[in-house]
Amino acid sequence: MASNETTAQTVNRFEGVTHYQNLTPAPDLDQKTLNKMAWRSCFLQASFNYERMQSAGWLYSILPGLEKIHADNKEDLALSMTHNMEFFNIHPFLVTFAMGIILSMEQKKVDIPTIRAVRVSLMGPLGGIGDAIFWMTLVPILAGITSNMAIAGNIFGPILFLIVFNIIQFALRFGLMNWSYKMGMNALDTLMEHMKAFTRAASILGVFVVGCLTVTMGGTQINLTIPNGTTQAYVAHTATVPTEDVSKFEVISKDTDGTTLSGMVDASGNPLATTDADGNAVTAGATDLGNGMSEVTYMETVTSPVNVDIAKILDSICPKLVPLALVMLLYYLFSKKNFTPIKGIVLVLIIGIVGAGFGIWPSIWG
Amino acid sequence: MEYSALQVILVFIVTFIAAIDQFSFLESLYQPIVTGMVIGLILGDVQTGLIVGGTYQLMTIGNMPIGGAQPPNAVVGGIMAAILAITLKLDPNAAVATAIPFSLLGQYGVTLIFTIMSPLMSKCDQYAAEANPKGIEHINYLSMCLLGLIFGVVVTLFFIGGQAVGSAVVAAIPKWLSNGLSAAGGMMRFVGFAILLKFMMNRDMWGFYFMGFGLAIIVSGISSLATPALLILALIGFGFAYWDYQQNTELKGSVAVAADTDGGEEDGI
Repeated sequence: MASNETTAQTVNRFEGVTHYQNLTPAPDLDQKTLNKMAWRSCFLQASFNYERMQSAGWLYSILPGLEKIHADNKEDLALSMTHNMEFFNIHPFLVTFAMGIILSMEQKKVDIPTIRAVRVSLMGPLGGIGDAIFWMTLVPILAGITSNMAIAGNIFGPILFLIVFNIIQFALRFGLMNWSYKMGMNALDTLMEHMKAFTRAASILGVFVVGCLTVTMGGTQINLTIPNGTTQAYVAHTATVPTEDVSKFEVISKDTDGTTLSGMVDASGNPLATTDADGNAVTAGATDLGNGMSEVTYMETVTSPVNVDIAKILDSICPKLVPLALVMLLYYLFSKKNFTPIKGIVLVLIIGIVGAGFGIWPSIWG
Repeated sequence: MEYSALQVILVFIVTFIAAIDQFSFLESLYQPIVTGMVIGLILGDVQTGLIVGGTYQLMTIGNMPIGGAQPPNAVVGGIMAAILAITLKLDPNAAVATAIPFSLLGQYGVTLIFTIMSPLMSKCDQYAAEANPKGIEHINYLSMCLLGLIFGVVVTLFFIGGQAVGSAVVAAIPKWLSNGLSAAGGMMRFVGFAILLKFMMNRDMWGFYFMGFGLAIIVSGISSLATPALLILALIGFGFAYWDYQQNTELKGSVAVAADTDGGEEDGI
């Protein structure tokens, strides 16, 4: 108990402290320290947890700078580390922007409440912008292109993905670190001024790309045919027969109403005509081969079932209607019915399995 | 299929690194498109690994950690999908759907770890108050190792035990179920798209969605543009977005400048 109490005293001794002991601004951080912190920012979420989220990782990232700034006063370093252990959560790829600003404030020995307010105010806008840049724009486009390369068996798909993603990531990490540290407080104003327009523009591109992805990656199609009666068609046959037998082929069989079911001429004596499998016109008739034999072309009625192909009908209205309908349905459930992603995935599994039929009817998904 | 000890160790190492990478480090090594290829290399079937990785990646588009949400875990899901497809010779779409339960398990694992880590924060408070940078560093390294270890052990166990169990399960799966899983696997990506839309959409954005949909139908109808289709479409989309940004900032910019000038005068007085 005794040791617990001392620990509590150590941790709580800064309660209500608003200023550093040494208020002399520290010298500028050198480029090496800035780079080291930008590299460390990759591990912002190393100890992510539900209580403080990224706070320990945030402190880990800015420690090289804090150690330099408060090198002359260990008590100030402890104070700085303590208030930087407070709850923190920001977009992991844009964190260096916040780091630069906070470090410039620490360096100027700004009072703790102001540093805290700026740090907290940075959490909101950067999260939205980071999501807009990375998860809604860069990754869908990049992963969309490279996934298709990978599915085609191209090993450069994953490699290209890694290269492009990381070039952008590290350019942002190191660029923002330097830029925001130098701009200090002003950087926040610059960002806030155009933040709304930027987020909106990124959302437009994102929404547009999702529309494109619905088409280019929506492979789902309904594989359903509905029987719709039957149709009768003549199929041509060719035979070589003695010339005197040709007349027997004129009408081989008749339907009750006089329609020729099989033969060369219809009820009024005109030759029958049809098209063969290749689409060429064929006319019934006889050709005398000159040796007492004739080649006859006669017709036979074949009854075949007619199917309505749902996919063809849907495509004639607009291609990719099934993917569009599924995306719209899921969007409705997520945004209006508060569906969680897991629920959506379960629903899709059910649609897929029910659509494939419990061994009763064939799969309707093509 | 029998596996050498080396392959088992490599699968463990890949999972260990990918588990850490999903939150820290490059945050791109863990993506299924990458792990699919790597698992393919380890198990000697790069082609299948690439196809499954690409298929799983398409599903995860949009299913990303937006706004701190925890989507089904892409590390466990992506690695297991590649393992299942290669070892059990599953169709890529079916493998992706079969890996979903594993990815849900991964998601629970992440939730568990994020909860376990919380009490460690009071230890960090103590190190901070003592001005002990080494302590803070050690806690971060420890957390990463713990995360990698848990994921690595779980996936390796699935990998070793799964091949006997998995073969029996796959043999027992009726045709309608494998068809259904395959169809569902192909539809999973729509979940991701819909979640993206939920975060980005508001009433004046719908036009841009349908514009993208329509233009994509036109571009994808031209077979010579099949490969660069998305890039071309992204360029068109960028045009719209940039134009909109200019419209907003130029109008707003002039207002802001005027306001600044006023403020300056007031300050001067």
